[in-house]
Amino acid sequence: MSYYLGLAQLIGIHTLLGLSAYVLMLTGQLSLGQAGFFAIGAYSAGILTVIFELPILPALLAAAVIAAFFAFLVGFPALRVKGLMLVVATIAFGEFVRLFFFNLSWRVPRGDIVVGPDSTNGFREIRYFVANGWSPWEITAFVWTFVILIMAALWWMDRSRAGAVLRAVGEDELATQSVGVNLTAVKVTAMTAGGFIAGIGGALYAHTATYVDHLTFTVLLATFAVSYPILGGLSSVFGTLVAVVFIQGVLVEGLRFMGDWRNIVFGLLIIMAMNLKPSGLFDARTAQVLKRAVGLGAQEKSDA
Amino acid sequence: MSATTKLTAAAMFVIAASFFMLAHPVVAAERTVKIAAWGAKSGPLRSFGVNSEAVLKGAIKAINDSGGVKLGDGTMAKMEFTYYDSACNADQAISIARKVESQTAALAGIGPTCSGAAAAMYGIFQKKVDDKSDSGLQFPILTDTAIRPGLAKKSQWTFRNVPNEITMYDALFKWLRSKYPDVKTIYGGTETDQAHSRITFAAVIVQKARKYGFEWVGGGIEGVTGKIIAGMKNVLKVSKSSNWLLADTNFSVQARAFKRSGADMMIISSHPFTTCGMLKEMRRQRIRPKVLVGLTSSSSAETLKGCSAAAEGIYIPTGFAPITKAAAKVAAAAEANGGAADLHSAAAWENAHIIKQVVEATGVMAKPETLKADRRKVRDGLEALVKVNGLMGEIGRVQNEGESIKPYVFVQAQKGAWKVVHDPR
Repeated sequence: MSYYLGLAQLIGIHTLLGLSAYVLMLTGQLSLGQAGFFAIGAYSAGILTVIFELPILPALLAAAVIAAFFAFLVGFPALRVKGLMLVVATIAFGEFVRLFFFNLSWRVPRGDIVVGPDSTNGFREIRYFVANGWSPWEITAFVWTFVILIMAALWWMDRSRAGAVLRAVGEDELATQSVGVNLTAVKVTAMTAGGFIAGIGGALYAHTATYVDHLTFTVLLATFAVSYPILGGLSSVFGTLVAVVFIQGVLVEGLRFMGDWRNIVFGLLIIMAMNLKPSGLFDARTAQVLKRAVGLGAQEKSDA
Repeated sequence: MSATTKLTAAAMFVIAASFFMLAHPVVAAERTVKIAAWGAKSGPLRSFGVNSEAVLKGAIKAINDSGGVKLGDGTMAKMEFTYYDSACNADQAISIARKVESQTAALAGIGPTCSGAAAAMYGIFQKKVDDKSDSGLQFPILTDTAIRPGLAKKSQWTFRNVPNEITMYDALFKWLRSKYPDVKTIYGGTETDQAHSRITFAAVIVQKARKYGFEWVGGGIEGVTGKIIAGMKNVLKVSKSSNWLLADTNFSVQARAFKRSGADMMIISSHPFTTCGMLKEMRRQRIRPKVLVGLTSSSSAETLKGCSAAAEGIYIPTGFAPITKAAAKVAAAAEANGGAADLHSAAAWENAHIIKQVVEATGVMAKPETLKADRRKVRDGLEALVKVNGLMGEIGRVQNEGESIKPYVFVQAQKGAWKVVHDPR
């Protein structure tokens, strides 16, 4: 069972990573810097629990705030560029963060061992969960509490005026600006929210993996972050979750038995999924079908 | 119920049943000693996993051909293994460790390939046995490849059978000192984003060279006294124009720095892929040092396949060479299984035999109801080992750290093959 729980933890963490990109993509921004915010969250939370010996919850929230702060700072210069230029700018930020942690060495003695980030050796001993006897069930519940809270918050936001503003900016910046919406505020807020969510994801990742190093946070991770909402679809927060389950659960883990063929089948299935469901695995139509299946559609009709 | 509904229901049942079968493999009535192994079978380090699997396949066949493994009640059991691809990825290594521990009847694990993945994976294991406050995995691991120093002591469930580079480079430079008394200066570079290459270069190789009187070109490096790790940061500072990255494909600037140095001895601390890139560029720029030294991981078939002409003459210490009868047998078995035996993969053979030895010594029963106790017996057995027979001779065990002291030789690339030029065993 610990395997399935570990997988559930990984899916939860990657869902947070995907949601951090989803918020930005609602405003039409494509960022490959999410791995950088994820790394900031991971290292910050690790430093807080390992070096400062803080409990996990305050460490996690502080790490999310730190990641959000950096996202806020990145948000302003990022406003000056769009499209592919933004992609390049955020890749540069992600690499900057990765190389910062690649060079970061901050070691302090704790009992008979020395702990802390150790440059290219990585950051070991982030063992808060196991060292405090948390069972796999408890760790999974903890991870998913954050996933559910953030998904609920984004779901609610999507149905509020704030969500409408984000989507309006994503659809047509000029038209949105012409009705008095402050583009700077919207985009920087989306970037900050994305950083906050990625920070939580990174903090949870560091504590479930117990070890992080700079190689964890490469452009590949950033590509996964944007692939989830693209593959899942932007019509709902659930799209990102569906895509993470599809990639991490089905393609990465489910196809492991295929050995050498796994990577080929992985690529083929991604291409097939994108062709068969170009608006995302969980597009508006799928959402309607599901709603009808569980009776929500009929309810909405009668309400109307 | 319509025909379509029935068909859909039947299809769903088949899918659900298949998933259940995959997740809960049927336990065979015949008792077997199961081993799980994992390593990089995809990505840039794919050859490491392919080689380990090929060697392990040969080892299991050899064990089974000789009768199998004797269990606690005298029954002879066959040994089986499953090899998983964990790439060079921490997430995947952790996921496989969890899967193997909770979903399979494997008694022990062998792997993974990369030190980063191993460092992450070891962290999810219980640090100290019988510590009830620690909920880490309780499953014995005997790693064959991940070589970065000092990893196994992270948990009392993790053990390694990898060469000790500190000892090997100490002996290599001592030997080179006597063989090349006229060689005075050294220069070198490493792939800085690969922890094993970088640390071995900056914390071990340069220090050991200094210890035996070889000086960095242009004067000594501040803080480098010959003692391990001393002055490590300064080593990386003075070599910054001659270092490269794992994904680099152009080495002209670094090779020019090598050439400008005019050093008698040049050191390339990297894995086969960039080692070959650098060696080819050095050849193109006609750089011919008196002595060339490489990283242990480059003493492999990949280096010779990739750049045998450019690698001609390079010296590397290694824990494997087909110079004993047993080692030659392993090299042949690996080749027959589509891989190659080298200092990393050959350990998989030794590991399978070490596990067999431990299972027989500790009275493992290999029954579903004794799985937890059997895993504990294997762990305790690995911990208790003082010496085991390896392919190159006796392997010493460092009990408190879970590490090995392996015999080694020095090889040199000569006409497309690794030739043993010094055998200190």
